[in-house]
Amino acid sequence: MKSQRKQIRKTIWIYLILSVTAVVVNKVYGIFGHGVDSPSMTWMFLYPLLGGALFYFIIERFIPHIIKFSGYRVFYNMYNSGIATLTFGSLLKGILDIAGTNSTYLVFFYIVGGGFIAAGLIIMFIKVINQKRVHV
Amino acid sequence: MKKFISKPYRWAAIFSVLLAVAFTFTLLNTFILPKSITSVTAVTAIATSTTSSAAKSTAVITDKSYADENIRITIETVRKYNSTIYVADIQVTDASYLKTALANNTYGRNITATTSDIAETKNAIFAINGDFYGFRDGGYVLRNGKVYRSSVRSSENNESLVIDKDGNLSVISESQVSMQSLLDKGASQVLSFGPGLVENGKIAVTSSSEVGQAMTSNPRTAIGQISKLHYIVIVSDGRTSESQGLSLLQLAQEFKERGCIEAYNLDGGGSSTMYFNGEIINNPKGGGSGGERKVSDIVYFGY
Repeated sequence: MKSQRKQIRKTIWIYLILSVTAVVVNKVYGIFGHGVDSPSMTWMFLYPLLGGALFYFIIERFIPHIIKFSGYRVFYNMYNSGIATLTFGSLLKGILDIAGTNSTYLVFFYIVGGGFIAAGLIIMFIKVINQKRVHV
Repeated sequence: MKKFISKPYRWAAIFSVLLAVAFTFTLLNTFILPKSITSVTAVTAIATSTTSSAAKSTAVITDKSYADENIRITIETVRKYNSTIYVADIQVTDASYLKTALANNTYGRNITATTSDIAETKNAIFAINGDFYGFRDGGYVLRNGKVYRSSVRSSENNESLVIDKDGNLSVISESQVSMQSLLDKGASQVLSFGPGLVENGKIAVTSSSEVGQAMTSNPRTAIGQISKLHYIVIVSDGRTSESQGLSLLQLAQEFKERGCIEAYNLDGGGSSTMYFNGEIINNPKGGGSGGERKVSDIVYFGY
């Protein structure tokens, strides 16, 4: 159990560092933005902070044993990919907003990102349910 | 597949590459890759060309003025609001001398050329940058009587500038007026940037009005109308220690003070350029080395 918590804490720390990085990127970009800003870029740090650090903090506190489940790695890869896609989509939208333009491809970042997160959570949910049934 | 996805770093590596490719492609597609959609049909009017040559040969031209029998232009430089402002007073005898042109004579996304290059290819006497329509997917684009785009912008500000066949300016909201009804009423040009600065003789912006999320003073380009075939064009330098730039309200006040009944904000920032008789009048801050930015289109006076 101790090693499981340690592994999840490592993920939390990575997400916290990514959140700080997102804030720094926004600040640095703002220097060259001639006073123009974009909510998408300003708030993009919330994806790794809430979707990443907070989410894994909850897992670490309440269900750290799921890391032992056979499908955990699949869930982990898909969920993290979703958060990464949404964060980059938000960064991209911020860049385009600040430049005063848009792109028809932007929506795919949100669809793919949301899809990965949903798929990851569904896989994990199914694993948890099945595991409970085995124990019952 | 499951086994493949389960590998700790293989998936992360492959996905990172895919995400980087998608991100880069979207940026390139938006900002760099040119997509031409329609070429402008060349209309050569021999009679006009003859008139042009005759008129130009008798023109009185100085560094800041031009006058022939059809077109009169005077440009003054004003220091105000800690900014350098270039004001052109233009009178023409016919609406046909107020024109627009597209970069490389082509309508499309990321089809660009500098204002001065486009102006020179059109033998323009006076030109300013237009609305940079090619940087966006929405907004009306009608040029010299031809409709290139009739999709409404989804943004809060979707005001367009209409120049009718008599040369009169008006500001409309794209969500309230269709392109077809503009054509039916004789629109000749429609530019989509905005917002409208002066409408029906009244200032139409406030101190909190801005383009997009920008809240600072900027280089600006705008055009207004005093009376029939009498126009004011204002370009301001900005984003430098010498010239801060104007807010939209300050810009609107300048037009109002000069008696404009209609005025409209065009693409500004690094795009702002005023070209006159082969020279760039202002100090554009848009190119890689701080010079002229390449834009989609211009508004010009000439033959």
